[in-house]
Amino acid sequence: MKYAVDTLNLTRQFGDFTAVDNVNLQVQEGEIYGLLGPNGAGKTTIIRMLSTLLKPTSGSARVAGFDVSREASDVKRRIGLVSEKLILYTRLTATQNLNFFGRLYKVEPMALKKRIDDLLAMVQLTQFKDKPISSYSSGMRQRVNIIRALLHDPEIIFLDEPTTALDPQSTRFIWDMVKGLRSRGRTIILTTHMMEEADELSDRVCIIDNGKVMAADTPAALKEKFHTASMLEVFLSVTGREMRDSTSEHLSMRGVMAEA
Amino acid sequence: MIDLELLLDIAKRDLLDLWMAKMLVVMLVLMPLLFIGMFGYMYPPSPSPNPNTNNLGSVYPNLPVCLVLMDNGQMANTYANEFIQVSTEQKLFTISEAASFQEAKNMLVEGKLKGIVVFPQGFSAALASKTPATVQVTVDESNPTIASIVQSEIAGVFNIINSEMSAQNIDAIDGGQENSAYLMQPVSIINEPLISGAASSFQFLAPGFVALTVVTGSLIGVATSISKEKEQGTMDGLLVAPVSNISIIAGKVLAQTVRGMIQGFITLGLAILVFGVRIYGSPIVMILVMFLGTASFVGIGIVLSAIAPDQETANVMASLLQFPMMFLCGIMFPIEQLPAWMQIIGKALPLYYAADALRKVIILNAGMNLIMPDILILIGYAAATMVCALPLFDKAMRK
Repeated sequence: MKYAVDTLNLTRQFGDFTAVDNVNLQVQEGEIYGLLGPNGAGKTTIIRMLSTLLKPTSGSARVAGFDVSREASDVKRRIGLVSEKLILYTRLTATQNLNFFGRLYKVEPMALKKRIDDLLAMVQLTQFKDKPISSYSSGMRQRVNIIRALLHDPEIIFLDEPTTALDPQSTRFIWDMVKGLRSRGRTIILTTHMMEEADELSDRVCIIDNGKVMAADTPAALKEKFHTASMLEVFLSVTGREMRDSTSEHLSMRGVMAEA
Repeated sequence: MIDLELLLDIAKRDLLDLWMAKMLVVMLVLMPLLFIGMFGYMYPPSPSPNPNTNNLGSVYPNLPVCLVLMDNGQMANTYANEFIQVSTEQKLFTISEAASFQEAKNMLVEGKLKGIVVFPQGFSAALASKTPATVQVTVDESNPTIASIVQSEIAGVFNIINSEMSAQNIDAIDGGQENSAYLMQPVSIINEPLISGAASSFQFLAPGFVALTVVTGSLIGVATSISKEKEQGTMDGLLVAPVSNISIIAGKVLAQTVRGMIQGFITLGLAILVFGVRIYGSPIVMILVMFLGTASFVGIGIVLSAIAPDQETANVMASLLQFPMMFLCGIMFPIEQLPAWMQIIGKALPLYYAADALRKVIILNAGMNLIMPDILILIGYAAATMVCALPLFDKAMRK
């Protein structure tokens, strides 16, 4: 059985801090896989390793059948990334942005033009396509940001908190888009703090805390196991109620210099 | 490894981004205009007269000066020996000799000499027939401060020799018909300009400013544009795409080099149009030097963007580097005016060589062969900083 994502003891350390600790994930092709966890649990670090932006300290990961360290360019061609920060140049228009990112993937010019038109129509932004991103609302920005990750029609799409701080209309729209992608056979790895979102979208979820996998199953099975009707209760049962206040020292310049 | 098409896409995107920020574009054009405008008016284009022709106590001792003896007569030898003796006693010059004026002139353009004294043919014969003789003096006009010092010191040395000689001449008067000019001043000086027309101080400053603008424009541009993408998160969009690091960097560097060159051309254009600066050398060699100047600094720009935690810090770091370089690298003042340890720092920075080469090309009409040492140093610098920058870029971006 070929997995879309398959990790073996995936580990990432920042100095003394272990952000991801021997994580084993198997994501099946064509499913929406929810990655849940409190702040600092290691969700984003996992996504960054799976999308080749960060090298694992130890362990390995295969994405779309390719090793993220040794076959990074094969992985890159098959994935799309929507990260926490907007990957769009705000001074440029939607068309200019989409053209630029499409060309990075060597999408053939005629095909790219059609693809951009189709995707813009899909997210209902055709009439605003020649306005700079800086003039967009946050919901409009995120819709462009998502289609930016779809230009080369990737097999696997990483969505890191795609609906954070969006209005309910935009959130609903993006949920429908994500389901639409699954229905066309794409695999989606989703992180979110909204348990409603995880419940609504995910075929399976994985709850991570302190860099370790704490629970992994379908939302229904987890709810049954913890005798509750809400994913929020499941989540709090697994990860506790204590708040996670820490600073990300490992992301500062000192951390980088120490590594170097 | 480098994908030319992607590189151009990345460069175009960078320039488009800049173009969209109209206010920034205006500022970037205004900056060289203000810069060159201020200094252009501060340094009027007429050469300043030199008041102290007899002051021989030099602040720049032992400047290299070359004698060319085209005349092998006895008087020429006497004067040459006197010249060597006086200038060595007073620690003014380190004297060398050359066989021809052309040979000496090449050494001057290469920067090995600060002045040339030619004893022309017929020198001894003129003195023997008791008529005044001349020597021909050429100085390094690419450096006006040093040039006028060398000029006045040479004149001073001849004054000393002349007064000794005229005393002897007057002693030897035997009541015959004597040439009075010969009695008063047996040898006078003719200044042979290195380039036609007078070089102003500003002619010296302009190439330095062009070098500074080009180099810092692209240095700040590279540091800012990379750290901005890192801070805003768009760099992830490049790194997650099947594009090599080197193509990303090359694209950024190309865009910012274009920006720096445009700023440099604005500076140069204004210097030419408003302040009458002339380009004596080949424009192609000049553009090559400008390009190599930027290339020698982009590695440093990448290092800054890698170690700076955000765009603002990267920007300040680049400006902090720019400011002392104006003084250390001979842009505003000749580097000879700095204490020795500062000269060492200045000469360790590639801007010194970029400015030096550009000055030689623009003012002294130097060809590739004469600026080859500068060019090789700039290429070496570019390669070395790039080698350091690439792994640091990878480390800083993938975190």
